[in-house]
Order: sequence, then C-alpha cells, then structure tokens
Amino acid sequence: MAKLVCNMAVAHAPGLTGWLEVATPEQQASLKAGYAELGRLLRESKPDVILGFSNDHLLNLPLDNTPDFCIGTASEWHGPAPWFIDWLNVSPYRVSGNPYVARTLVRELDRRGVAFAFRDDLLFDDNFSVPLTTLTPDYDIPLVPVHMNCIVPPVPSAARCFEVGTKIGQIVREVLPEDLRVAILATGGLSHDPGGLRYFEIDEIFDRWFLAMFENGEAERATAECSFERFLAAGDGGTAELVSWFVPWGAAMGGKARVVCYEPTVAMRCGMGGVVWDQGG
Amino acid sequence: MSIVDVVRTLPSNRMVFEVRRDMSLVQRFRDDLEALMTAYGLGEEEKAAFRAQDLKHLAELGVHPYFLTQITRLFHGSARNTQSSAAIQAYVKGLTGAAE
Repeated sequence: MAKLVCNMAVAHAPGLTGWLEVATPEQQASLKAGYAELGRLLRESKPDVILGFSNDHLLNLPLDNTPDFCIGTASEWHGPAPWFIDWLNVSPYRVSGNPYVARTLVRELDRRGVAFAFRDDLLFDDNFSVPLTTLTPDYDIPLVPVHMNCIVPPVPSAARCFEVGTKIGQIVREVLPEDLRVAILATGGLSHDPGGLRYFEIDEIFDRWFLAMFENGEAERATAECSFERFLAAGDGGTAELVSWFVPWGAAMGGKARVVCYEPTVAMRCGMGGVVWDQGG
Repeated sequence: MSIVDVVRTLPSNRMVFEVRRDMSLVQRFRDDLEALMTAYGLGEEEKAAFRAQDLKHLAELGVHPYFLTQITRLFHGSARNTQSSAAIQAYVKGLTGAAE
C-alpha cells in the first residue's frame, strides 16, 4: 500500500510570482510566510510523486471536446508554456512525470466508474507553474498533472470531485506500490473573476465562508452548498476552479483542513491562500 | 456576461485557444491579424470587434470571458500585469468604453 503523505490545496494566481509587490506589505508578508510554510510541509513529507489537480484554463482541453479531467502521462514536463513566461515571471523549468502512476490511475479509475482522459503533451500556465515554483523551487518532485475543466460549463460538481478524490485516495492506499509516498496538490481559487464584471473585486465573505467549511470538516454541507451557481456569484470566470479543492478533501475522507494563510488580495485580482490536511488526510 | 453564455462553436474561440499555445501564431496575431482571422473563419462581426478591441461585443458574440483579458495581452503584452498595465487598462476600456 502506498501512503498519502501530504494533502493540500492552494491558490495559483499569477500575481503571486508576477506582481506580488503591488499587494499591501501586510498581504505580501502573510502570503510569503504562508506559501513558505505550505512548501515546507510539502517538501518535508518527502513525496515520490505529486498528483496535481488544477483548472486547465482552456489551454489544452479544446472547446469542441472538453473532458472533466485529463491526466498527464508523460515522463517529463516543461513549463511555463512560452506565451505565459513573462506574464508569470517564471523562468522555464523541467519537472519529471510518472507515467506508471498516471496509467495506473487511469486504469483503476476506469474500474471504479470514472473515465479520465489522458495525454502526454499538456502545456502549463499559472495552474502548475505558480505552485511548483513557489512550493518546490528545485522542481525535484515528479508531477502527475490532472487538468480539469472548471470554466466551460457544464463543469464537474463539487460532489463529483469529492467522489473522485475518495477513489483516488482508495487507489493510493490499496493499489499503488508499497512504500510509494504520494502527495495530492489541488490548485485554484479562491474568489476571482478573470475577464468578468467582478475582475477587480474579491468576494472575501465567500472566501471565508468556503475556508471555514474546510476548517470545520463540513464536507457534506460544502458539497451541497458549493453549487456552480454559488461559485459564479462569487466570481463568474474563475471561482468554480475551487472544485479542484474537493479532490484532496475526498482523499482526506472529509476531514478537517488547516487554513495556513488567506488574503483578499485585490491587487492580484484573486483571493489567495492555502489549506492542508494534517497527516496527509 | 458569464461563462454560461459562451458559444463554443464560435470561430473566435478556436482562434484564441490555438494562438496562446503557439508562439508562431502569437506572432501572426501581431503581424497580420486580418489574415489570421480569415484563416480561422471569423465572421465580419467578430473581425470588427477584434479590430476595435471591443471586448464587450466579443463577449456578446460568445467569446469566453477568460479569453478577453488574454486578448488584451495579445495586443498589449503580458509582463507585470498590474491594474495600471496597458493590457488591464485596455480591458477596462474595451469593456466599458472608458479607461479608469
């Protein structure tokens, strides 16, 4: 049996690497300390592989065929995609993949009624580039990325993502090889509306309500109340990518998470923060 | 304006999707937008909205809202994308008709 050694969810907005200096000094300090803590926890758990779940942002999953989940099966990944380099202020990097783990997940999820698309040519934008460079700046932990459709309706529901997470957790614990140390890292959120009418607003009330349910372990309530419409109301163009956070929550079997940091960073046009489930859920 | 109003079959959406994935298409967007729009089969209304950087109209036609800010970055650059950047100011202007 493999072991789930780290289970966390973080926001990935490009301002964190691209223009953090325009946030207030207090917000900068809080996010720097918070992401440093999240990075320390991730690295010190010594994972052999990170299973990443994030919004595809319409970068790989085309509008004419948009699966809910697409897992990356390559042995090596390169990022950021060239057009995003100066936006993110992230230098080109290389990170290993793990085709064995990716293919095992596809096969085992099929057997559990969940069909992941798969491909070996995924491009990364802020979705994985910002978390990787911030949390694992040496890019030395292999990544199995899962790109999710979070912004082309219909998108997978919070309940569906929670269910997928429970199955991922089962596969980690029951199928993946003994001694394999696995981390789950969801990236996205919090409230934001890229390109929409609330582009320059943060819905702090929503963010704190959302985080409190994670902190209290109220998974049943959250899966019921975090409807697509509720996400849209908190920021039409981006907030629904918070469905990714329900994957590690499912793997943690609905346990309580710890909020490591949160800031309603208007200057970054996105609520920023992260949570971790202690003891890997 | 909402992501629920996206028209997935709109040629503009396919064009923007593919441009961001390929720097040679980014260059074509900058050098010869007219030819690029024709190659992707954009209608006259879509073309006119791109020429005018009329984001509001593009949204009304069914362009994905997430693409709107990326369109301003294709026109005005991406680096240091703060509220005062040229790209964000073009977004404000393109959506409301008046810069902040």
